[in-house]
Amino acid sequence: MIIRTKHFMLLAACGVVAGTAGAHGPARLKVEHSIDIQAPADKVWARIANFHDMSWHPAIASTQGSGGNVPDATRLLTLKGGDGKATIEEALNKYSAEHMSYMYKITKVDVAVLPVTNYAATITVTATGPSSSKVEWRGGFYRGFPNNDPPANLNDDAAIKAVTGIYQSGLDALKAEMEKGGR
Amino acid sequence: MVRPLPQRFPLRMAALKPLLWAGALLLARGGGAAEVAFVTTQSDDSVSIVALGEDKVAATLEVGGKPAGVAASPDGHHVYITSPEGSYVSVLGTRPPALLRRIALQGGPLGIAVHPDGTRLFVADWYGNRVFVVDVASGDILDELPTGLSPSGVAVSPDGSLLATADRDSDQVSLFSTADHRLIGTVGTGKRPFGLGFTPDGRRLMSADVGSNAVTVIDVDSRRALASVPVGDRPYALAVAGGRAFVTNQYAGTVSVFDLQSLNVVATIETGEYPEGIAASADGRFVYVANWFDNTLSRIDTVRLRVTGSVRTGNGPRAFGAFIADVPEAAVR
Repeated sequence: MIIRTKHFMLLAACGVVAGTAGAHGPARLKVEHSIDIQAPADKVWARIANFHDMSWHPAIASTQGSGGNVPDATRLLTLKGGDGKATIEEALNKYSAEHMSYMYKITKVDVAVLPVTNYAATITVTATGPSSSKVEWRGGFYRGFPNNDPPANLNDDAAIKAVTGIYQSGLDALKAEMEKGGR
Repeated sequence: MVRPLPQRFPLRMAALKPLLWAGALLLARGGGAAEVAFVTTQSDDSVSIVALGEDKVAATLEVGGKPAGVAASPDGHHVYITSPEGSYVSVLGTRPPALLRRIALQGGPLGIAVHPDGTRLFVADWYGNRVFVVDVASGDILDELPTGLSPSGVAVSPDGSLLATADRDSDQVSLFSTADHRLIGTVGTGKRPFGLGFTPDGRRLMSADVGSNAVTVIDVDSRRALASVPVGDRPYALAVAGGRAFVTNQYAGTVSVFDLQSLNVVATIETGEYPEGIAASADGRFVYVANWFDNTLSRIDTVRLRVTGSVRTGNGPRAFGAFIADVPEAAVR
């Protein structure tokens, strides 16, 4: 019974967000996470360079997309463990193969899946040596609740925690795969 | 000629060091006043204070409540800071920099402007769809003016007769008379106007339209949108200097520059990541841009049209509003 009540509250909160599309809380939040990888930058970049293949991230079940690696290209991420219903729609803002970097934004996500709004992020690979590199993931976003006095599951801390978790698990997995070698 | 250095703003020192940026500016201004940036750093609940002849933050004041908006008083003695999460305005003294008092409001105060006569503040309530008119001397709320949805940027015309708000989620600006607080009319803009500014002659009003990647140029007298000038990805705010508008493009990481007569874009200048608040020096020689992600304040040379200096600030600089105060040096003596 308690679980059902919580579930209902979450849906009610989603209704608020959906009804005021584009609205957000007062303070934009940022998360920066980076990882050093013992693998050449071009090899690491090659693994993540295709905007329509996010299979390097352990939370992603599938990526569908169109438009290539140019601005306004879109992708639909389906997350693992949500019966195919937990999805995130994203679009490319900037892409530079030369700088091994791209910027993208979330165009649609349910705050029950990811408690953020107005999210955009940049992922960049830099060479730190001939066979070593650094991957940096930087995101800017607002919390999931658009007004003052947010519920705990949609406040600033919840948003930062969720995004930090995505960056950490993604970069940890990328590092493990790259350093395993032979792929 | 030797005079004691002010303790917290060694401005004349800056003028003596030609390598420090804007040193020449201070000399040109004759030492009667000095321009100081009050940059709201939302992520650390503070204001970074940067004398525009120095290469680092001179002082930091904690104000709390996730500060965002800022407006300097015309006489340079005070700076007003909005805290949307704390629902208040902080009143800062400029020399020496100090938090003097707080004015309690409601909702989410964001955009803020001071009337040119210095007596009234206009503060947009992002959540309450209204503008508070606040008496500076008493801190009393004199009036509440209903706006469209999610008012963000606030501007007062140079002659002080008009108040404008960018009503972000109504895709419009509202224009009020400052004499009787009457709504004069609304003008449709592009999608989600955020930052707002009048031209120095007061004839045009411009809004940075986040959702359209454009700036709407409005004729004030006829209250008609004259043009939509395409700029970069996610325009946020704008400033005017030397007959040109300078527009921060958050997602693009650039400032678009367009000519106010021809409305042609003449330059796109790379800044830091997430450029937001933007303001011009009094002589229009430089504009300053707060880069939210990079935690820097960039200086753009308005003649050479490129970034010629940068200062590290606190975390998450937004500086939404008129963040440069023309601080009279005589104020402390």
